[in-house]
Amino acid sequence: MKRVVLFSAAVAVLAALGYLIYLDRLVTKQFEGRRWTLPAQVYAAPLELYAGLPLTPTELEQELQRLHYRRAEKADHPGSYRLSGTQLEVALRPARFADEARPAQQLNMILGPKALESLHDASGHEVPVLRLEPLLIGSIFPIHGEDRIVVAPEEVPALLPAALKAVEDRKFDTHHGVDPSGMLRALWVNMRAGQIEQGGSTLTQQLVRSYFLSSRQTLSRKLREALMAMALDAHFSKADLMNAYINEIFLGQDGDRAIHGFGLASQFYFGKPLAELDLSEVALLVAIVRGPSYYDPRRHADRARLRRDLVLKVMADQGVVKPDEASAAARRPLGVTSRPAGAYYPAYLDFVRRTLRRDYREADLTEAGLRIYTSLEPRVQEDAERALEHELARLDHLHKATKAPLEGAVVVTSPQSGDVSAIVGGRDVGYDGFDRALDARRSMGSLVKPFIYLTALESGRYTAATVIQDAPVDLKLQNGTHWKPENFTHQTYGAVPVVRAISESLNLATVGVGLDLGLPKIAQTLERFGLPQPPVEVPAMLLGAVEVTPLEAAQLFNGLANGGFRNPLRAVRAVIGSDGKALKAFPLEVTQVASPETVYQLDRMLVSVMERGTGRPARALLPPDLTVAGKSGTSSDYRDSWFAGFSGNDLVVVWVGYDDNEPTGFTGSAGALPVWARVMAGLGPRSWDSAMPESLIEVHIDFDTGLRAMPGCSDDLVAVAVPAGTELPAKPGCAFPEASTQATTPNPITRLKDRAEHWLQGLVH
Amino acid sequence: MSAMRKRPPILLLGALFSLSACTLTRPPPFSPAPGATQTPAGSAQPAPGTPAPQSPGATAAPPERPYTPPPKQFRLSAASSALVAQAHTQAAGGDFGQAAATLERALRIEPDNPLLWIELGRARLGENNPAQADAMGRKALALATGDAAAQSSAWHLIADSLRALGRNGDAAEAEQHAQGVASR
Repeated sequence: MKRVVLFSAAVAVLAALGYLIYLDRLVTKQFEGRRWTLPAQVYAAPLELYAGLPLTPTELEQELQRLHYRRAEKADHPGSYRLSGTQLEVALRPARFADEARPAQQLNMILGPKALESLHDASGHEVPVLRLEPLLIGSIFPIHGEDRIVVAPEEVPALLPAALKAVEDRKFDTHHGVDPSGMLRALWVNMRAGQIEQGGSTLTQQLVRSYFLSSRQTLSRKLREALMAMALDAHFSKADLMNAYINEIFLGQDGDRAIHGFGLASQFYFGKPLAELDLSEVALLVAIVRGPSYYDPRRHADRARLRRDLVLKVMADQGVVKPDEASAAARRPLGVTSRPAGAYYPAYLDFVRRTLRRDYREADLTEAGLRIYTSLEPRVQEDAERALEHELARLDHLHKATKAPLEGAVVVTSPQSGDVSAIVGGRDVGYDGFDRALDARRSMGSLVKPFIYLTALESGRYTAATVIQDAPVDLKLQNGTHWKPENFTHQTYGAVPVVRAISESLNLATVGVGLDLGLPKIAQTLERFGLPQPPVEVPAMLLGAVEVTPLEAAQLFNGLANGGFRNPLRAVRAVIGSDGKALKAFPLEVTQVASPETVYQLDRMLVSVMERGTGRPARALLPPDLTVAGKSGTSSDYRDSWFAGFSGNDLVVVWVGYDDNEPTGFTGSAGALPVWARVMAGLGPRSWDSAMPESLIEVHIDFDTGLRAMPGCSDDLVAVAVPAGTELPAKPGCAFPEASTQATTPNPITRLKDRAEHWLQGLVH
Repeated sequence: MSAMRKRPPILLLGALFSLSACTLTRPPPFSPAPGATQTPAGSAQPAPGTPAPQSPGATAAPPERPYTPPPKQFRLSAASSALVAQAHTQAAGGDFGQAAATLERALRIEPDNPLLWIELGRARLGENNPAQADAMGRKALALATGDAAAQSSAWHLIADSLRALGRNGDAAEAEQHAQGVASR
């Protein structure tokens, strides 16, 4: 009997030992492995500061505030700035870019009314160019998964561990993973209250609980948790455990995204690095630990505030801070940002994710701690979001119908680099759902016309002044039916010059030109400019029966805005590994897909679209002296309303329509154009002013007849670019001097030499 | 990466006479289309360099100027110069990828400056990517209207790229263009 008892006891001890070893392994492995599962962090484009940067003082200050720099009396802490008159002093935070790291440094700027005047460092040396740190715009975390920004111990303000210990675990430094006296105290409190009010868990126990994702507080789980906490305590230093806790603990929920760790929580609630938090902010985060949903400072500010003030009081009682510091901190507002930082540009992040999924496994993106640098410009993105929302609300109002709300999408690029600076995927910008910019595949309508006329210019048989026929079309198709397209006005216009046909988006004239050139040629042009799939070669293609997404439309027009050079549109510039080494760069690439001469002639006609054609209504929203080029698009039955156009530095493409493809009743000029104009006006555009290639000349023609004319003999002149030597019939009654009927381009260098000679003569005399 | 150093002498003249060779010289924008921003009957301001009409009603005056690209000389802004210098250092250390990334920073500030496209093309050549170097040369050429020196540098880049691509005949032709524009 005694032996049986002994034997059983031995088995029990062995089993317990085995269980302990099992728990020990489990928790140790978890602890060590945990350090490496970091979602990729995604950054916006950094703002380059240089003398001449066209930002007003207000705009510059907004850029600093976007990065949560604080205005202060003295710019002495990283993350603060001082603005007095035209002088702006900034204590820059350390920053990591795709190509280099920059330490914290002092930067002094002189601000002009319209542009940055000069930059100097702390010792007064001129700084030619310097980047602000890039804004963190989100992370790629697993679906329903944890998101976090891991911080090293030196990035943690000393107040935080002190506050955590004071509030959550007073004996953290001395206990062995569990604190029996704390548990007893909790037991006493809970018994008196008749419910569980205090956890009594040490920070180590909370860490274990977080690892194994169970909040059920059964006795056996508590025991298991306590054993694992003791195992952790035996293996690792208190400093390691504190750092793990700071990076691990759950501190909020943002849709699908679970906010873990104080590093991310600091960005999530305050929009700034953990190291910059003051006492009241640290206290708020410590307050949230106890119940991130219950004490959510955005939804339950009063509760959060009460608990924060309690935390402050405990900190003072425990001697962590002086009582007057605590009471001063308790007088401060909560200070949380109105909306969480990060993951708020879902359409853009969607494009980033798709770009990266070609090269990376999901696990690399969600776990490997990559840093991803993108081209997103937050100011442009937010302007585009606002413009779409504002104009769609207005258009909905015009309808006064019971229809579902209109939807839309906006893409903004920098044509020369192919950088995508903004993507709006719908009017509910925070909604991570159907991304119309990438997935709404709709008929491009008259957006196809520039590519038809470009093909025409390339054939050598057409110029902007060529007179074409806008006449009824009746085509017998292969299936025996007749195709009889019409103009939007249901009228025909007879003989018109090409520039008028495109400016007024005449369908019949365009179909005539397209049929003359042949559908395959036009399909090839579209493919050259980046259409991903070959279009179906049916005559309706000439009126835009070609389905594209707004992003694809932007790719096509980017080539027109970039003088005939195609560059793949880029959201991602570089991917950096957790060791700081570049894993992949997406360098700027250009491919010439059309001659600069033909594209220039076409672009000049797209300027006419804006000056006097279907783009004219945009003028009311744009600066009066701004030259822009663009084209409207309306698909059959007004299902899709498009506008694509560019200034000297930006391309904007807008689509407006219904998700169910119902007719909207809006042409491109009525629906998409106002959005386009509003976005364009907000970009601080520079005029489109490409230098005219030397083989071209600028001539004035009569807009109605295409005849060569000049001021005084025509009421309706338009300036077009045509190849030098183009013979143009003159309008009767226009007396041209002999020399100018066939225009020529003098050699610029000859002029230069002439001037040089004049100058030399001036010296001699 | 020595595109900037080889300047033909004509450039000195260009520098002397360029009227607006500040940091970024641009041609004056073309005259806007009539009808939209002008009233008819010659009330428009003549573009710089256009002979002024003798009198407001002088219909015998040439209706439009034959286009003359204003001679100009592209220069780098202070910011671009600093970045180009940094890129040269990186390229000298053999890191053409970094050099290209630095030049892209400059191009975001001055996307229309052909000199930067030529620099980037040189970096691509260093990276052994002659196809892109050639394309950058052509992009530079399209932007360099009116600047003979920049055009010549662009043609030199194109010639070097074509040679690297094994297209020696085309390269020789590009070289001739480079000489041609330089001696104009």
